[in-house]
Amino acid sequence: MPSAVRPVGTAAATRRSGVVKFTNCLLVKGTDLVHEDLWVSSVTGKILNGQELLYGHLTAPDDIIDLGGRILSPGLIDVQLNGAYGFDFSVIPEDGSIAYGKGVQQVNRNLVKGGVTSYLPTLTSQRPEVYHKALPYLSPSGSTRDPNLGSESLGAHCEGPFISPTKNGIHNVSVLQVPHDGIASLAVCYGPSNLTHPTPIKLVTLAPELPGALPAIQSLASLGIIASIGHSEATYEEAKLGIKAGATSITHLFNAMKPLHHRNPGIFGLLGTASSSISKPYFGIIADGIHIHPTSIKIAYNAHPEGLILVTDAMRLAGMPDGVYDWTNGSRIVKEGALLTLEENGKIAGSSIELIDCVTNFMNWTGASVPEALKAVTETPASMLGLGGVKGSLQEGADADLTVLDVLEGAIGEDKRVVVDQVWKFGVKVHDREGQLRG
Amino acid sequence: MRLIIREDTETAAEYVAEYIIGRINTFTPTAERPFVLGLPTGSSPVPIYSALVTAHQMGRISFHHVVTFNMDEYVGFPREHPESYYTFMHTNLFNHVDFDPENINILNGNAPDLQEECTMYEAKIQEYGGIHLFLGGVGSDGHIAFNEPGSSLSSQTRLKSLAYETMLANARFFNGDLSLVPRMALTVGVQTIMNAKEVVIIATGASKALAIQSAIEGSVNHMCTLSCLQLHPCSLVVVDQDATMELKVKTVAYFKGVERTIQKSTKVRRPLVQTNGFHAGPDKAEPDELSPDSMSSRIQTSQSFPVRSATISYGST
Repeated sequence: MPSAVRPVGTAAATRRSGVVKFTNCLLVKGTDLVHEDLWVSSVTGKILNGQELLYGHLTAPDDIIDLGGRILSPGLIDVQLNGAYGFDFSVIPEDGSIAYGKGVQQVNRNLVKGGVTSYLPTLTSQRPEVYHKALPYLSPSGSTRDPNLGSESLGAHCEGPFISPTKNGIHNVSVLQVPHDGIASLAVCYGPSNLTHPTPIKLVTLAPELPGALPAIQSLASLGIIASIGHSEATYEEAKLGIKAGATSITHLFNAMKPLHHRNPGIFGLLGTASSSISKPYFGIIADGIHIHPTSIKIAYNAHPEGLILVTDAMRLAGMPDGVYDWTNGSRIVKEGALLTLEENGKIAGSSIELIDCVTNFMNWTGASVPEALKAVTETPASMLGLGGVKGSLQEGADADLTVLDVLEGAIGEDKRVVVDQVWKFGVKVHDREGQLRG
Repeated sequence: MRLIIREDTETAAEYVAEYIIGRINTFTPTAERPFVLGLPTGSSPVPIYSALVTAHQMGRISFHHVVTFNMDEYVGFPREHPESYYTFMHTNLFNHVDFDPENINILNGNAPDLQEECTMYEAKIQEYGGIHLFLGGVGSDGHIAFNEPGSSLSSQTRLKSLAYETMLANARFFNGDLSLVPRMALTVGVQTIMNAKEVVIIATGASKALAIQSAIEGSVNHMCTLSCLQLHPCSLVVVDQDATMELKVKTVAYFKGVERTIQKSTKVRRPLVQTNGFHAGPDKAEPDELSPDSMSSRIQTSQSFPVRSATISYGST
């Protein structure tokens, strides 16, 4: 098990530097696991250069953490999470906004225990007043760099309501809109103040084939908000126009879009584009074993490995025990592990998988190595969000959001499993699976 | 000079590592009275450093009160460069053991005034009262530190241009591109090394065989600066079989015989030494003594006979 030791007899006792060194661990670097040490500062919450500490600052670490050969990965990033631990980001509680804010904070503190150190709280298609009330509570929350706040919002993901009424999934058709006036339509819906700098919105999922969608995408891009194609009937050509307008991502590839057809590959076709005028987009994948066949995931990964981002798309029942739960409009949902179905008709009703289990599934289904699978929840989502070198990275100067992982080898014929042993946020340990909180 | 021959690189490195550990532990360094160690870079010392790290992890040795002086560093080379000697030392040794960062000294090849840097380095060594043990390697042309052929045998720490042969040897660290290999270095001088109380050299591999031959069988000559050790009162050269390839069979047999004799004498003498209490606590009795060779000192019957050649020791028994 990981153990913390104070270096014996060093001057650290008198001169605390707040430097923590991880040793005897495997660092995730690109698609490799390397046997190196890592230094972080619990003061600045950033990753340090160990050699520069020694020669430049003549500083020895306060604490040396022996990880017993475990994997040290950047903290996981989930770019699509609708809710968890009984809380739904799209539902304003009856007792109002303050209760909503508290609910978000509680999700943050619970979420971090699963290794998700930052994420995009995601709103499904809603009426405008929900956005007006909810968005101010979902804006990026890392500015105080307080590890005790738990997982950090990187900004909201607005999944809709500018999506195709025929690819609505479980989104309520009656609230869907068409962005006739481009960004102005979005401003009316989300609230004008939420589309001005600094905006609480990080990413918007929309259907590029809708009237006014392309200029809206252009405006989003110029605002620094990521446009992601999803819940869409777009043909390959329409999707390509979306990318040309500035969209850089696809929301949960395969789900809520036309399937690949050999005469028109649809949105999926963007992964195989030979066009020199557009670059291949990033794409989210729900690897819960329910939403997509493992082989489809493998095909998408082979087509564009650098773009694959694992997402949970989990809703409020994530993290809750199995059972039957009330849903909207008198419906009820049956939760059985990660599988959620509507009681009345057995239809899939979202996901409740944890992100680390998506990593396990992805590894076992595609034959990806541990670092390759981790890249899909760290480095790749970070670069999609324009946060390369800040999040999802172990390079010097990046935020010291870390997960300590163990790979449990299955018995013969069984699969491997990745488990989260420790979580560090801004250079401070915030979770320990074995409950031995020290230092 | 003593020559120790071991079967291969690992066993040679192990011998040196154990030798250093013995020296430091015998010295029992403190903050006020640190052990001062000179350190090299290069491929030969790597297994020594890894053996020292293992010993530290096993709790057999602490470096907390050990002050280090590195031999050399390239000029105009970023400290962060993967081939800088700063990086080398951090990766291979400093990161893994408990050195106090303030006790680590490496020449700064980016100093605004390089001459001043060298003078200060030399002065700092003096402040500590000199180096107790200088560990070194040797170049294929017999150079010690960056004291290339022709270096003055009384040189001090200074700026040096590198020999073509050294640059060729170093090109392997720069993707074989000679144009990227630094041409200048700061290095301790031959005299700086000679001033150390004890010098231990590691040389492994066939490429070092000619250098070893010239340093051991040849005469003292500035074209093979390692040969200066013939004039040092307390030097030890540890090699593997490959590095002895150019030596005469007679030379190899002689030094192997010396080692055998020492071992034999130690074995015979030990009970006798123990009965008179000498072996029981020589370290405590004379903590300041940097005895040139723990084994030969044990077989000495008198402290007033400070010889280290086992031939003489043998004669004395």
